[in-house]
Formats: sequence, C-alpha cells, structure tokens
Amino acid sequence: MEKRAGLEGLMRRSLEGDKAAYAELLRETRRLLGPYLARRLSFESEAEDLLQEIMISIHRARHTYDGKRPYKPWMYAIAKFRLRDYLRLHYADQLRHAEDISGLEDILADVVTETGISYESISGEVLKLPERQAAILQLMHQEGYTSKEVATKLGMTESAVKVAAHRAYKVLRQKLER
Amino acid sequence: MRDFELLVAELANDASAIEPAPHPFLLSLKLIGIAGVYLTIALALSGVRSDWVRAFGQPWFVAEIVALLMIFITASLSAALLSFPDLHQKRGLVFAPLWVFALFMIVVSLAWIADDPPAALPEHSFQCTSCIILVALLPTGWTFYTLRKLASTHHQWAGSVALLSAFSVGALWLRLQELNDSIVHVVEWHYLPILAFCLVGLWMGRWLLKW
Repeated sequence: MEKRAGLEGLMRRSLEGDKAAYAELLRETRRLLGPYLARRLSFESEAEDLLQEIMISIHRARHTYDGKRPYKPWMYAIAKFRLRDYLRLHYADQLRHAEDISGLEDILADVVTETGISYESISGEVLKLPERQAAILQLMHQEGYTSKEVATKLGMTESAVKVAAHRAYKVLRQKLER
Repeated sequence: MRDFELLVAELANDASAIEPAPHPFLLSLKLIGIAGVYLTIALALSGVRSDWVRAFGQPWFVAEIVALLMIFITASLSAALLSFPDLHQKRGLVFAPLWVFALFMIVVSLAWIADDPPAALPEHSFQCTSCIILVALLPTGWTFYTLRKLASTHHQWAGSVALLSAFSVGALWLRLQELNDSIVHVVEWHYLPILAFCLVGLWMGRWLLKW
C-alpha cells in the first residue's frame, strides 16, 4: 500500500513539474516492467528496446493520468498496448519473410549434409554468407555434424537449421553458376 | 542500462508541469453539451416535424426517442472513457452502449409489432441516410478531435463508439424532423446504416486515434 501511494505520489509530483520525482518514477516503472517483458519476449535486446518505447509512450500519455487512481493499471495498460503492437509487427514481418510451406516440405525431407560439392572448394564463398548460415555450413560440412546436432549446438530447431542451410545453398548455387 | 539512464534523463528534462486531462465524466458532458446545442440549432433551422404533439402522444415513438437519446449519452461517455489508456479504471461503464443498444433493438422490435396496420412507406429512401451522414459530420469531427488529444489504447473501439455517438445525433435530428411513421423505413434507412457506420468507425479509429 505504501509502495502504491509512492508511485501515485511520484506521478502527482511529476505532473507538477518535479523532474527528480519523474526520473524516480521511470526507474520504478522499469523495475516493474522488466520482468513483465522478459517473460513475454525471447531476447533481452527486444525487451530493452520495447521498454524504452513504453517509457516514451508513458511520457507522451502522462496527461491522461491524474494521480488520483492507481498508477499500475494505467502503466500496464500502456505497456500491454505497446507490446501488442510490437508483437503484431514482429509476426507480420516474420510472415513476410517466411518460406512457402509447400517448398519447405521438400527441403525438410532432404539430407542437407550431402550436396555433391566439397566444402573446401567453396569455403571462401561460405565465409561471405551471413554469420549464422556460415556457421551452420561449417559445422555440417567441415566438422561433420548432423543437422540435429547443429541445432542443439546453436540453440535452434532442426527445421530452422535445415531452412537456413537451404537458403545458404541457394545463395551459393547462384554464385557458383555465375 | 546506460541507454536507459540517458532516456530517463532526457524524458525527465522534458517533463515540465502539465495539466491533467479532464475527468471522462466531464469530458463526456462537454461532448453531450456541444452536440445538444448543435442538435437544437439544426432542429431550429430545419424545423421540427409538424405533427410533433401527436407523435409524442405515441408511447413507442417516445420510447424510441428516449432509447436513442440514451445511446447518444452512453456512447459519448464510453468514447470519453475509451480515450484513456486504462479506461479510467471504469471498465464496466465502457460497455454501457451495448446494453442500451440491446434495449433500443427491443423497443424498435416492439414498435414494429405494434405498427399494425403498417404505416405507409415514404417515397424517398437513401436520402434519409445521406441527411444523417451530413448532420453527423460535425459531431464526428469534433469527437475525433477531442479523442485524439488523449491516448486511447482501444482506438478501434473508441472510433466505433465515437461514430455511434455522432450518428445518433443525426438519427435523433431526422426522427424529430421528418414527418414519417413507417418503422420499416426507419429501421432500413436510419438505424441499419448507423450500424454500418459503427464498423467504419473501427477503421477510422485505427487510423485517426493511433498514437
């Protein structure tokens, strides 16, 4: 109860122009929102970016809070709103970059470690690939790991490893055909 | 962590004294008051239906007008609440237009049953919808302008309820102005289009009330 009164009090003082109270309130808000966002997002960097966005939203909407009602529901309402927005954009983006599922059915059944090209002959091109794709090809073709083992090693799903390998092959094929 | 401290410093530096937004009850009273004055002026300019004394002697007509008035009041209140991120912590009141709309539908259904033999259909049709749209334009603009100053986290619902409030002003004006007793016509060309515009409001809210 004392904490609650504290947050409301800080916000009331902030609305009166007390900058120190406002900075303290934002730090308290971060302390509350940190674990809330961490539970809902996979990466720490994502949570940190979104947290900063929420802080800016709180700042822009602070005139809609009068200091007379509980602060937390107001603050969480803004946080949920921004989180929903973020996830909507995130998944829309993922859908845009997703492979056609019918294409994937063929890829996933393939044995991705047998490509008919020796790794050594194309290692120079492999190193020019994005870091994750290069690491996958290196593990599979130079060190002889299976896609399942690579997945475990890199903390990915086996399907994701196969898809990444498939994309890398596509790029390599195009380069070698030139 | 360092980035966050920088952001805090930046926001705190920008945080000068600020006047909190008015209470949603006060805000909705303002919306209702302005729309009330507008409706009175519109009726004064266009004239009230010539048989208004007879019309107000009919219980179903009175019930319909009262229900429409209640939709307008509750929709204005709900729009004001929806423009606060936390609905001003009065979630129950936000849904009031739904209950009143259900009551309105019951009233209209009973009026339809009571319309026996049915009143003659007027010769015009879509002109009524056009008139409602024209009269609702100003309240729509004013309501959206007011809501945009706040920070809705339910912008689609806020847009829909704002249009319900504005269009109920148009519907009230037409019902009090038009010399017509056909409930079939009223449902078809007055009230069903309002429902359609509530759907348009979902889209408008998404674009106009986003922040």
